[in-house]
Amino acid sequence: MSQSKIVAAVEIGTSKTVVLVGEIVNGRSLSVIGMGQSSSSGVKKGEILDFKAASNSTHAAIMGAEKSAGVNIDAVYLAQTGRHLEGFNNKGSVTVSAADGHVSGSDIERAQREGKSKELPQDRVYIHHIKNEVLLDGRKVDEPYHMKGERLDIGYWSIHGDERRVRDHIHVINGFGLPVEDMIVSSIASGSMVVGDEEKKAGALVLDIGCGATDWVLYQDGYIARTGVVAVGGDHLTNDLALGLRVNRRNADKLKLQCGKAILEKDDLTEKVWMVGDHMIGDRHIPKKAMVQIIEARLDELFRIVKKQIGPRCTAQNLPGGIILTGGTSQIEGICELAAKVFGAEARLGVNPRIVSEDLRGPEFSTVLGLLHYALTGQHAEEFNTGAHERGILRKVVKLIAG
Amino acid sequence: MDISLKTTDGEIGETGVGDGLRVKIIGVGGAGTNTVDRLQFGEQGQARLAAINTDAQALASSPIPEKLMIGRSVTRGLSTGGEAELGRKAAENDVSSILNMVSGMDLVFILVGLGGGTGSGAAPVVARQARDQGALVVAFATLPFSLEGGRRLEIAEAALGELRLVCDAVIPLPNDLLLQQAEENATVLDAFTQADDWIGRGVGSICAMLFQTGLINVDFATLKKAFCVQGGKTLFGLGRGEGGDFVEKALQDLALCPLLHTPEYARKADRLLVNIIGGTDLGIGHVNRVMAAVTERFGSKADTVLGAVIDDNLQSTVEICVIGTTDVGGGRYVRQPVKSYAAKPKPPESPQGRPIDKAQGGPAAPKLDLEETSAPDNRESDYEPLPELDSVRPHDGAQGRSTETRMPQVHQSKLKKTEANDGTDQEEFLFVSEEEQRGYFDKTDRNLFDGEDLDVPTYLRRGIRVTL
Ligand SMILES: Nc1nc2c(ncn2[C@@H]2O[C@H](COP(=O)(O)OP(=O)(O)OP(=O)(O)O)[C@@H](O)[C@H]2O)c(=O)[nH]1
Ligand SMILES: [Mg+2]
Repeated sequence: MSQSKIVAAVEIGTSKTVVLVGEIVNGRSLSVIGMGQSSSSGVKKGEILDFKAASNSTHAAIMGAEKSAGVNIDAVYLAQTGRHLEGFNNKGSVTVSAADGHVSGSDIERAQREGKSKELPQDRVYIHHIKNEVLLDGRKVDEPYHMKGERLDIGYWSIHGDERRVRDHIHVINGFGLPVEDMIVSSIASGSMVVGDEEKKAGALVLDIGCGATDWVLYQDGYIARTGVVAVGGDHLTNDLALGLRVNRRNADKLKLQCGKAILEKDDLTEKVWMVGDHMIGDRHIPKKAMVQIIEARLDELFRIVKKQIGPRCTAQNLPGGIILTGGTSQIEGICELAAKVFGAEARLGVNPRIVSEDLRGPEFSTVLGLLHYALTGQHAEEFNTGAHERGILRKVVKLIAG
Repeated sequence: MDISLKTTDGEIGETGVGDGLRVKIIGVGGAGTNTVDRLQFGEQGQARLAAINTDAQALASSPIPEKLMIGRSVTRGLSTGGEAELGRKAAENDVSSILNMVSGMDLVFILVGLGGGTGSGAAPVVARQARDQGALVVAFATLPFSLEGGRRLEIAEAALGELRLVCDAVIPLPNDLLLQQAEENATVLDAFTQADDWIGRGVGSICAMLFQTGLINVDFATLKKAFCVQGGKTLFGLGRGEGGDFVEKALQDLALCPLLHTPEYARKADRLLVNIIGGTDLGIGHVNRVMAAVTERFGSKADTVLGAVIDDNLQSTVEICVIGTTDVGGGRYVRQPVKSYAAKPKPPESPQGRPIDKAQGGPAAPKLDLEETSAPDNRESDYEPLPELDSVRPHDGAQGRSTETRMPQVHQSKLKKTEANDGTDQEEFLFVSEEEQRGYFDKTDRNLFDGEDLDVPTYLRRGIRVTL
């Protein structure tokens, strides 16, 4: 008899909340069987400002998803973004204990434990410890078990967040009577959808430019080297346009979607666009140049900030896999050219895997699809299998919060 | 012509309305003093000019008649070097001289470039003295360019907050934005000139309404009504039109005024002050057209104070100045014009304007009569006595010019209420949501990176000139 589990991927986004329902059969295959969406309220820059409003819109989306799937959800995988997320590199180092110099399972476990043991300030909680570089006597190795050496180092990129914000996120889901199985930062979820293993090996940077925030993840040697968040997204473009063009938010948003462009070209210098487009009284001409200037300034700055956050590693040599852009705001014309210019590396738009249905291929679904991917593989920490299952750091968070 | 003007509370066509009114324009700090230096005054010259600075040299080179050097023992005649704390100390050390400077004034304008030490530290002290002396205090404060660095911006914002607590109205002018209005190759100096020009026009407009002979003059009591709630966001816009169709051109210019589109500003006001300066060919029809357009866009007719003055040197030209005050973000206390000078029990006061919990302003809040909210003198019976908060500011009652009282919950911005009434999206005609007028990111944490607030448009921070 096959065993199935119904899981939901939930992204409480700044513009909309998306819920995908997946059925995991025998822990091996997953099919998307339902979906629900609602326009978010009470969320800005990826963070929940108004708990009640955010709960209501999220619950509406979950309800819609359950209805479309025709089944009840067992557990939720939840995306997390926001400026409060931070990360650091840490390393667990141990001396190989066996007399014959072969790395044992317990050596690995000790190194792992040490690598994740750094204490955080009181108001911070860990979300992930992502294993990256493993060194045996200073040499990079993939799988140290049983190899010969004296000293084992296991590196981690550890991501932590503000406890209150993490808790708020979880409580929104709990408020619907559902447990949160795991929390995954958006960048990692999105990255898992749009980057192939080859690119991860070569080195690639994914930017998920959403409505309220931009989540990025840098891959090197096949692992996640760094992640980050800039609380700037499509909302900022809209706001900048509204202020700069002196139009209301609704028209600014419309202009952005219809004729937004990230790089100024010669033709734009003389072109004019209609503010409303209905040619009625009150409509007026807006120079395209003004519009593109405003957008270009913002995106150029955004890319430079990411570059600065990554630091000296952010060079073209380190990024043969290129820059991959996803998220709703990546749809703006010319954004790849601009990214390529700023990063000095190739840039392209990400595409979600072919196997997902047509209506989920859009870049704004990378995150939720990635969540489902993690629900299936269940290995966001990408640990070695040493017997001791290291899953669910969030379990700790969840418990801590429940108690 | 009276029909259309009834709603404005304006006195019509009388001269000498402002006689005997004492107005002083005080520049605080280097930038503020420069601005006062450069004010171009025509007939509204009845206002007295003054300057306050720690910097003896800067003060000496100013042509302003009344100058006050503060903090000799604090900075020894030098600038504070950007330390607002020193600026405040300097002012507090010479508080009696400041008091002398503002005493007896009905209306005090404070002009200041926030971001430096003297202006940022001393201006709130000067404002408080002026207010305690019973003057109506209106501050025009420029905010530093982003490129001046995060620290200056921080100092400026702290000072802006302090000013809002002690002034009747504070009009912030971000330098980044003013640069947008300047010519294509404008320099920082040009932006300062622009700032001075805008401040001059704002101050000039208010003075003209009071002093200049016009179609519609405004008396001081009426003017004061526009500033009856303190600490809220303000709105400030200028528009100018020339040649054929000058009224429409001015209205268009006003609509594009960049100051009306920043988060610093409200989009709609609870009370409006509209001044129109026109040439000899300005007719009452023009005035009505402006009034209709401006009130439709920014507020309600019932709460608009209108002034219109004629400048003999102008022809086919009109300049519109709109100043609005709101209860949004402020509403700590309301200044009440006292009807009679006879002694009567004083309504309770709030010491530092205890903020009213904004959470109360949700859609569930009781609906109110809009008229009453804007006419606080009818509302006395609603003030519940709070004896423990009594008499913290001895000057007020004694002077009998105005009193303040803690605002009961009743006084909520109607901007919000209207929005709660029906949520349709005819937004140009309805009051916009509070969120919109407080700036889209207003309630969120500051978005700081390398000392810059990323929620502020990049083009503004980078000084990229956007031409419409
Ligand atoms: N409008 C205008 N603004 C100026 C001028 N000079 C400087 N500013 C702006 O005003 C801010 C304050 O500068 P100052 O007025 O020189 O500083 P201060 O108040 O004298 O304070 P300290 O010199 O530090 O004691 C600066 O950050 C500039 O943004 C000017 O001439 N006109
Ligand atoms: Mg100075």
